[in-house]
Amino acid sequence: MNEHAVRLGTPYKLSCSVNGSRHEIETAPSARLLSILRDDLALTGAKRSCEIGRCGACMVLVDGKPVNACLTMAYQCSGKSITTIEGLSTINGNDPVQLAFMEEGGFQCGYCTPGMVISVKALLESSPDPSDDEIAEALSGNICRCTGYGGIWRAVKRAVEGRRSSG
Amino acid sequence: MLLNRANSGGRWRIRPDGPGKVTGSLTYLTDLTRENMLYGLVLRSEHPHARLARIHTGKAKQLHGVRAVLTHEDVPGLNAFGIANPDQPVFCKDVVRYVGDAIAAVAADSPAIAKQALSLIEVEYDLLETVDDPEMALLPDAPQLHPGGNALHRTSFCKGDTAAGFGQCVHIVEETYYTPRQMHTYMETEGGLFVPEANGRLTVYSPTQHGFMDRMQLARILDMPQTDIRVVSSPIGGSFGGKDELNVQPYGALLALRTGLPVKIHNSRWESVRAGLKRHPMKIRMKTGTDASGKLIAHAVDILADTGPYSTLGAEVLNFATEHVIGPYRYSNLSVMGASAFTNNGMSGEFRGFGGNQAIFALEGQMDRLAERLGMEPWAFRKLNMREPGDPGPFDQPIAATEGAGQVWEAVAKSPLWLEKLNRSQTVTCEPWIKTGIGAAFTMHGAGLGFGIPDPAGGRLQLAPDGKIEAVFSYEEFGQGLLASLELMLIEQFGFAAEDIRIIIGDTDVVPDSGSTTASRATAMMWKSLQRLKEPFLEQMLGRASSVLGIPADLLRLSEGGIRLKENGEAALQLTYKELAQADGAEIRCDTSFHFPVSSTDRVGAHFMYTYSAVAVKAEVNTLTGRVKVLEQFHAVAAGPVINPQGFLGQIEGGSSMALGFALTEEALMEKGFYVTRNMDTYLVPTIAEHRGKVTVLPIEELPAGDEYGPRGIGEVGSVTVAPAIAAAIRDAAGVWVSRLPVNPLELQDVPFFLKEGGDRG
Ligand code: FES
Ligand code: FES
Repeated sequence: MNEHAVRLGTPYKLSCSVNGSRHEIETAPSARLLSILRDDLALTGAKRSCEIGRCGACMVLVDGKPVNACLTMAYQCSGKSITTIEGLSTINGNDPVQLAFMEEGGFQCGYCTPGMVISVKALLESSPDPSDDEIAEALSGNICRCTGYGGIWRAVKRAVEGRRSSG
Repeated sequence: MLLNRANSGGRWRIRPDGPGKVTGSLTYLTDLTRENMLYGLVLRSEHPHARLARIHTGKAKQLHGVRAVLTHEDVPGLNAFGIANPDQPVFCKDVVRYVGDAIAAVAADSPAIAKQALSLIEVEYDLLETVDDPEMALLPDAPQLHPGGNALHRTSFCKGDTAAGFGQCVHIVEETYYTPRQMHTYMETEGGLFVPEANGRLTVYSPTQHGFMDRMQLARILDMPQTDIRVVSSPIGGSFGGKDELNVQPYGALLALRTGLPVKIHNSRWESVRAGLKRHPMKIRMKTGTDASGKLIAHAVDILADTGPYSTLGAEVLNFATEHVIGPYRYSNLSVMGASAFTNNGMSGEFRGFGGNQAIFALEGQMDRLAERLGMEPWAFRKLNMREPGDPGPFDQPIAATEGAGQVWEAVAKSPLWLEKLNRSQTVTCEPWIKTGIGAAFTMHGAGLGFGIPDPAGGRLQLAPDGKIEAVFSYEEFGQGLLASLELMLIEQFGFAAEDIRIIIGDTDVVPDSGSTTASRATAMMWKSLQRLKEPFLEQMLGRASSVLGIPADLLRLSEGGIRLKENGEAALQLTYKELAQADGAEIRCDTSFHFPVSSTDRVGAHFMYTYSAVAVKAEVNTLTGRVKVLEQFHAVAAGPVINPQGFLGQIEGGSSMALGFALTEEALMEKGFYVTRNMDTYLVPTIAEHRGKVTVLPIEELPAGDEYGPRGIGEVGSVTVAPAIAAAIRDAAGVWVSRLPVNPLELQDVPFFLKEGGDRG
C-alpha cells in the first residue's frame, strides 16, 4: 500500500484507467497522482521537478485534459481515464507530435519533454491550427531550461503540419 | 550561411537519444528503483552560521523503519569534498556555514519515514554572526569562516601604469556593475541510486559531469579503493555546470554501504535550491578611459565575487572573470584586481559561462558608455580597439590565432538588425510608451580549463565481438547532444552507418578517463581524439579485412555495414563488421590520450583556444510597466567547423535563453543568509512566452590554414553576450543605462505622458 495511505490510515481504493488498462490502487485519497504513477505503477515518463504545479514536467492527460500530476490527488482521478507519455506512442510508430520533436530538435536533456509533448498533444486536440498566442499560452506552464524554446516552436509548427497531412 | 534545418541538409539528423526522450521511455538515473530499496534524506542546517553544540540522533534511530542515521562520526575517510580544494564537510562537526550544510543523513523504508526521522534528529546550535555580504567578509574584523581567512582567492593582472594612463585620457567612464545569484534550474534535481554490490563494490548511479572525479572524491570519503567504485553518470536531466561538484553522492554512498541495501535519493526542488550551486553574484567596478580619438588608454577593474561558504571552483571562476574583464580589446595600461570572498550565503560555483557572463556584461557596458561619450557608433568604437588576429590573449599569453574577432564583428556590422539600427528613422507609434532599441555585444570566450589545471582528454575505438564499432569516452550526455555529435563525426569521418555504431559513455567501469564534460571542451576533444585514432584504427580494421579477403588493404575502405572495395563505390559488401569481428586475430582496439591544448604561459587559468561571438538584439521596453521584451536576436559565432548543426543551434538558442533570464528575471534572493526564493514560482526561468522572438545564428566555420585544433567549444558562448546586448538595446530604447541585473522594471518606468501633462498644468 502507498505510504500516504499508511501514514494517514485512510484506506482508499482508486479505480481509474491508465493508458487504456484498468487499475485498482490502494492509496490515500490525497496521494498525488505523480507518486502513484511513478512509485506504484512504475511509469516514470512523467517527471518530478518543482512539485508545485509550475514547471509542467509531470504533465499527464486526465480525460484528455492536461493536468499537473504533482498537484492532482488520487480522489480527483476516480473513474477517470489517464494517459501518460507512455500511452501516447501508437503501434505504428510515434505520434506526429513526438516525431516533430525529434525532427526539429525540440528537446535536449529531455527531462521536460514528456510533459511538453503532453501539453502540445492536448493543445492540438482542442485547436488543430493554433495561433502563436495560443501556443504560447498553452505551453507557458511547461518550463524547458535547455532549448530556449526555439526547437519547441519549430516542433509545434511541424506537428501541426504533420497532423494535417496525416489527418 | 545561417544555421537552420533547411541549410543543413542531411547533416540535420534525429538524435540517437531522441526516441527515448520523446516517448518517455528513457530511464534517468533518478527514475531507477531496486527491490528492497531504501529512501535517503539529508538533514541540513537551520542556520547560515552557527556552532553545533550537540546532535542527538537517538530518537530518529528508534523510529520503526529507519535503517541508518549517519553523522560526521560515520565517515570512514575524509569528511570533506570539493573538486579543487576539499573544504566542504560531508557532515558538519563543529560549525555550519550555510543553510545547505549537511548535519545528518537517514535511510528508511519509505520517504515518509525518512522525513519523520529527520524531524526527530535534535540539533543544538549556538548562533554565530552571519557574514552575508562579501564586502563585509573581507573587512579585518569580520567573523572568519575558515582558518585561512575569508578570501578564498585573489587575482591581479597589471601592465603599464593605469594612474598615469588615466591622466592622459580625454574620456573616462566609471561604473559599478552587479550581477545576480542565478540558479542552474536543471529540470532534474540532484539524485540517484546507490547500490552495494554482492562482491563488495559500490555502484553509484548519479549525474555528474566527470565520473572519474566523483569516483576519486567518493573513494577519499569512503576510504575505499577507487577501483571498488563504479560511477554511472548519464543520462542527465540538465546540468549547466551545476552537477559537476558532488551533491547527494556522499550521502547515498555512505547510507548504502552502512545498510547494505540500495538507497535512492532524489532532491526536492527546495532541497536543490538550498544546497545547490549558483552563479557567483559579482560586483564589478570599472574605470575605463580613451584619448580624444577613442583609443583605449587605461582600464582599471575591481571584481568582488560572493563565493559562499566553501571553495568548489570559486577560485577558478574568479580567474576566468579576471581574464574576461580584459577581453578582446587592446589597452595601453591595465589593472585588474579580483577577490572571491567566503560568506554564509548559498554556495556559488561552476555555471555555464564560468564567470564570463558577469565580466562581459560589465566590459561591454563600458564599451557602450565610452562610445556614447565619444559620440561614436558603438560597433565602430569596438573595431577601433579590437585585438588583431596575431595579438596575444588577454593575459598577454600566446593563443591559437584565428580571425574570429574580426569575423564576428563584421557579421554583426552587416546584419539586418544592425543596419536597421543605423538606418532607423524615427517612427511614431500609436503606443508611445512602447520603445524599441537595438544593441550589440562582443566577446572572446575561453575553452578548456586553462593553463595549470589538469585537463586530460582521449578516448577509444574498438570493434566489439558482435561487429559493432564501439566509441568509448568518459564524457557525459546532459542534453547538449554529445551522442549525436559523436555519431555524426563517426559517420562523416569513417563512413559508418548509424547502425554500425555503439557509443559508450558515462560509466567508469568501461570508459577511459577523457577528462570532464565542462568548459566547452567535450566536442573539441572528441573531434581531436577521432583525428588521432583514425589512422591506427583504419590500419587495424583494413589490415584484418585484407587478411580475411586476400585483397590488399589499400584497395579496401570502411563503409556502411562493412568493408567495401575503394573502386566501384556502392558495390557489394566484401565483409560485414560482424564477420570481421569473428575473424581470427587480436582484438581490434585503439586508444588515445592527450592533454587539452594549453598556452605556453605561466598564468594559471589562461586559455589557449577561444570562441568568438557577437550578438545583436532588438528589444522593446514598455515604459509604463518597465518590462523588457526581446524581439529578435542575431548571433555570429566563430568556433571552427560545425560538428552537429542541430546541436550547435540548440546550444546557442539554449544559452541565450539562460542569458535572457540572467538579464531580466532570474535571481535567487537571499536575506541574511537565508534563501527567500525556494522554488520555481518565484524563481523565474524564461517561458515560451518570453521566447517569441526570432533567433538567427550565423556560424563562421573558417579557420586559418594549418589550424590543427578544429572545432572550438560552443556550449557556453551563447550565454555570455546576450545580457550586455540587451542592456545596450534598453539604453537605445529608453535612454536608461542598466548596471544591475536582473533589470529592475522600476528603473525603466516613465511617468506616463498624460500625467506629465497634468503635472505641467498643475
Ligand atoms: S513537477 Fe508538477 S508542475 Fe513541476
Ligand atoms: S530539454 Fe532539458 S529541460 Fe527541456
